[in-house]
Amino acid sequence: MSTEDRDIVVEMTGITKYFPGVLALDKVNLRIKKGEVLALLGENGAGKSTLMRILYGMYRPDEGQIRVNGRIVNIESPRDAMKLGIGMIHQHFTLVPVHSVVENVILGAITDPRGSFSIEKTAKEIKKLGDTYGLEVDPFAMVNQLPVEMQQRVEILKALYRGANVLIMDEPTAVLTPQSTEMLFNFIRDFRKAGNSVIFISHKLNEVLEIADRIVVLRSGRVVGEIPREKATEQELARMMVGHELGEIKLKAENNTSGKKEPILCIENLKVRGNLGHLAVDALNLEIFAGEIHGIAGVSGNGQDELTEALYGLRPVSEGNIFLNGTPLTKGKTRNIIDLGVGYIPADRHKEGLVLDMSVEENLVLKGFDLSPFSRKGILQEGSIRQYATQVIESYAIKTPTPDTPVRYLSGGNQQKVVIAREIAVARFLLIAVQPTRGLDIGSTEYVHQILLKARNEGRGVLLISTELSEILSLSDRISVIYRGRILKTIDRQDVDMDEIGLLMMGVTGRQ
Amino acid sequence: MRSDRHILLTLFPLYSVIVGLFLSGLMMLFLGQNPLVVYRDILLFAFRDIYNIADIFAKAVPLIFTGLAFGFAYRASLFNIGAQGQFYMGCLASVSCSLYFSFLPKVLLLSICLLSSLIIGGLWGSLIGYAKARFNANEFLLSLMSTYVAIAIMNFLIRGPLIEAKGEYPQTDVIAQSAWIPLLIPHTRMHAGLILALLVAAAAYFILWKTALGFKIRAVGMNRDAARFAGIDERKIFVSVFFISGAFAGLAGFTEVNGIQHMLVQGFNPMIGTEGIGIAILGNAHPLGIVLSALLFGALKVGGALAVQVSNISSSFLGIMEGCVMLSVIISYFIRQRIMTVLEKKRLQEESKVKIL
Amino acid sequence: MIIEGLLARSIQMSTPLIIGALAEVLVERTGVMNIAIEGIFLLGAWAGFVGTYFTGSHLIGLIAAIATGTLVGSCYGYITVYLKQHQIVTGTAINILAAGLALYFYRVLFGVPLLPLTVEPLARLNIPLLSSIPVIGEILFRQNVLTYLSIALIFMIYWLLFKTKIGLVIRSTGANPEAVDAAGINVDSVRFKAVLCSSALCGLAGAFYSIGFLGLFTEDIIGGRGWIAFAICFLGNWNPIGAAVGGLIFGIADATSTVIQTSGFKLIPNEFVIAIPYILTIIATISRKEFRVPEYLGVPYIKEGRR
Repeated sequence: MSTEDRDIVVEMTGITKYFPGVLALDKVNLRIKKGEVLALLGENGAGKSTLMRILYGMYRPDEGQIRVNGRIVNIESPRDAMKLGIGMIHQHFTLVPVHSVVENVILGAITDPRGSFSIEKTAKEIKKLGDTYGLEVDPFAMVNQLPVEMQQRVEILKALYRGANVLIMDEPTAVLTPQSTEMLFNFIRDFRKAGNSVIFISHKLNEVLEIADRIVVLRSGRVVGEIPREKATEQELARMMVGHELGEIKLKAENNTSGKKEPILCIENLKVRGNLGHLAVDALNLEIFAGEIHGIAGVSGNGQDELTEALYGLRPVSEGNIFLNGTPLTKGKTRNIIDLGVGYIPADRHKEGLVLDMSVEENLVLKGFDLSPFSRKGILQEGSIRQYATQVIESYAIKTPTPDTPVRYLSGGNQQKVVIAREIAVARFLLIAVQPTRGLDIGSTEYVHQILLKARNEGRGVLLISTELSEILSLSDRISVIYRGRILKTIDRQDVDMDEIGLLMMGVTGRQ
Repeated sequence: MRSDRHILLTLFPLYSVIVGLFLSGLMMLFLGQNPLVVYRDILLFAFRDIYNIADIFAKAVPLIFTGLAFGFAYRASLFNIGAQGQFYMGCLASVSCSLYFSFLPKVLLLSICLLSSLIIGGLWGSLIGYAKARFNANEFLLSLMSTYVAIAIMNFLIRGPLIEAKGEYPQTDVIAQSAWIPLLIPHTRMHAGLILALLVAAAAYFILWKTALGFKIRAVGMNRDAARFAGIDERKIFVSVFFISGAFAGLAGFTEVNGIQHMLVQGFNPMIGTEGIGIAILGNAHPLGIVLSALLFGALKVGGALAVQVSNISSSFLGIMEGCVMLSVIISYFIRQRIMTVLEKKRLQEESKVKIL
Repeated sequence: MIIEGLLARSIQMSTPLIIGALAEVLVERTGVMNIAIEGIFLLGAWAGFVGTYFTGSHLIGLIAAIATGTLVGSCYGYITVYLKQHQIVTGTAINILAAGLALYFYRVLFGVPLLPLTVEPLARLNIPLLSSIPVIGEILFRQNVLTYLSIALIFMIYWLLFKTKIGLVIRSTGANPEAVDAAGINVDSVRFKAVLCSSALCGLAGAFYSIGFLGLFTEDIIGGRGWIAFAICFLGNWNPIGAAVGGLIFGIADATSTVIQTSGFKLIPNEFVIAIPYILTIIATISRKEFRVPEYLGVPYIKEGRR
């Protein structure tokens, strides 16, 4: 039976949505058929999540209508969506970390009058669903003790418990290893076989091509293409997503094997405790050379955050040593580490990188305002600050009305430029970059990559941490895989083998 | 586009004051008074003669200090609710110096009193900052409780070692003439403490926006995480902010004891700390706004105290007026945000329509 | 005999603290701090006194106190939950306003009498049989009805929070409001209702001081005890049992300081004896390092782009 013949279970027509500052969706039409996996493909910010949140009742559209099973419906809240059999697995899990799995499932179904409050009954139901779909999980485990792929299972079970037959999954593989992704895909296939539908939101071409029956591409809030899987190719999809051809994941710089490599950062037997008291970094050894980009590959939650925080003095070190150019950093305060020439591009620029209500120039001097020439005897030298800021704004082409504008009004890409410009200035020897292109469009991502390469070529060491394997692969001279707080293996770029990396990320060392 | 928004929006505090007064006017109606008459009386009395006008400034002085105390800490996202206690400690310091060092020449004596109230108030406040830095204690609760402890200390000292020679009432002796702050306008109550208050307000502005310390304070206040990543030691900021904040409140002790009361009476000026919070809110935690708000409340108090005698409104109605104004300021923030959001949305819809056409 | 009297008095003094702390636990579990607590206590005391004075009925007084608390709570709740304004700033404004209103409307009704007006405080309700038990009977079962209510409330709130659907929603709202939103429940509605309930209880707690114990009303009658109830919520780790224990401890401190004062025991100066509860709060605030604070306490819930 071809996709054409199946019934249409959900139809969205003419959906338009405004947010302050942006037109998120522009007269979008979408049809979902029974028993199909539909992929929604697009760049960050294309409107995929927004469209699905409208379907799930979390947002109201400014224009347009929705039909479910042929009838026009008014979805005012997730409650309505769930009643219609629509469930959503969010990118950021909507779980209560301090509660158990059962409590979370009960909460998820709390507006359903048929739902029971009995912990035992619900736990049994969870076990049953888990067995049916291969989603086993301990109902009485505390959610914050579960690894990420288990937490995702809880999210899915919540929706299944509510009787969802249309499952929206928003970037579900962002937090999974290649192996867990395969398990997720198996579930999706089983789910589809039972006659249900899945809407799979992603920006990863290869996964979409593996799992989808039909692919819809969004760009800047508009549908730019709809294509069944048989007719789709990576090139075609990339072209639709971006508007032009994407080269393959090229190596972005020539091999930098020439010249002597001096170690600039030495980490010996490092042990760092995480928030829950466990050893998040567990006897980690690592060496970073000057003039290299050293990428750390790994699923998030394996100690990367604790490692970089410890390197920057933001988290105490339990054991072990850190040396920068021979100087011990281990008991260092952040201020000292900055003065020693270490820069840090944080994962969350709004939370850790910028003071949004301060101006562009204030953010540019955020790490140096109390030193000459920006301060003399404790008094700010506004002239010098303005001069410096004007220079930097020009050389980095930061789009801002004035240096005085609060940085909150800049676009994401320009905000990141401010962070990077500041950190490059600070990083005389070492630059730590954590998820530096998260949430950025293609143009800004490209710009950031060029800057990182430039930093490397000028002799700095760059420690790059990213969950986007493609980013690590295209930029790094050497790649280390981190698993449960330890470096399992360090590989030169030319020796990289995708299968090996995938296995290492799962903790499997050595071939079997 | 941004400049016209600016003009409309900076006048918002003024609107809120008007709305607040309007609300309390409604309440007056409800109680059978004519609000227009009452407000007219307040204005007339406040500006009736030099003495009253001078009194407005005299009443505003301690409010400026306690307003600055709360506002300064607020800039670091810290809540100093203990200005009342820091004020009392400043009073104690100043009156003690006035009593025990009365033999010193005037300038020296006043300087010592000033410094002592500043330092003692600051130290009392910094205890809170230290507790927050060291124990991550909740400064809201701590500062609240510290006022009650300060009251206990003050009552103990006033009834004990500092008590007046007669020993009749819980108050000190009147301090020597050499400890009185000179008047700016003779035969009024406006004393040179006003100049001190204005200088301190200017200093607060200077510290916050022109110094590296102020930069750190504002950064910590606006985004504590980013400040840490930038190498700013927030614990040092907690202590220094609470010291400065407490010092501001302590200075109010100097001006009230040496400038107005010339002695220390148990339980005097009991609302000055809380009113300071109101002033700071009305003044948007900005030194200039605080000074203006303090003057406004000073006028209300002066005019109100007299209007009360001719009309039937009880003096405690002033507290209601203050509260109403504060609430309408808060609501005005909300209205301002809403207006900006709606304007943004409209602008976007316009822009996208033009694009399509 | 003295010890029994002291303990009986302690239970009495802990009543409003327990009620207030339980109310605060209830609302803070949804992520909202009821900063207006001191003002609501005060207005509850005023309303209770006025209601009882003019009707002679304690019941009317208590109802008036609950109604007043709810009314003030609705203002606070509306501004902080729906208008998303800052909780501490709004609460402080309301506390200032409440102090002004309470004093003003007392003067309006009664003028400034030479001696404060009084009413009969709530009578003791001796529970039959149980009150005859030696020692324990004297301490526990010869209290007034509000005290019995406060004990019942401990169990009711515990049961509500941990054994019901509503309780799960309440706890989840403070721990992760997004999860509650995704489940299709209106977060603001949960919070607002919690503020209303909490404020009603706080009004009741305030009335204890005027008509349950002292039998009069003055502007200082609460004297910061609303804040102590607020602190007890923190120190009791947002748990009803913890709140009860904390309330009891502070009730003992309160009773002890009164007894020391009236007995003429002059080891510690009077002024500091009065300050004991506050000093205790300071010590307790500093020593509790590990709090299980509701994750989203104090943070207004803002949905992106909603409507």
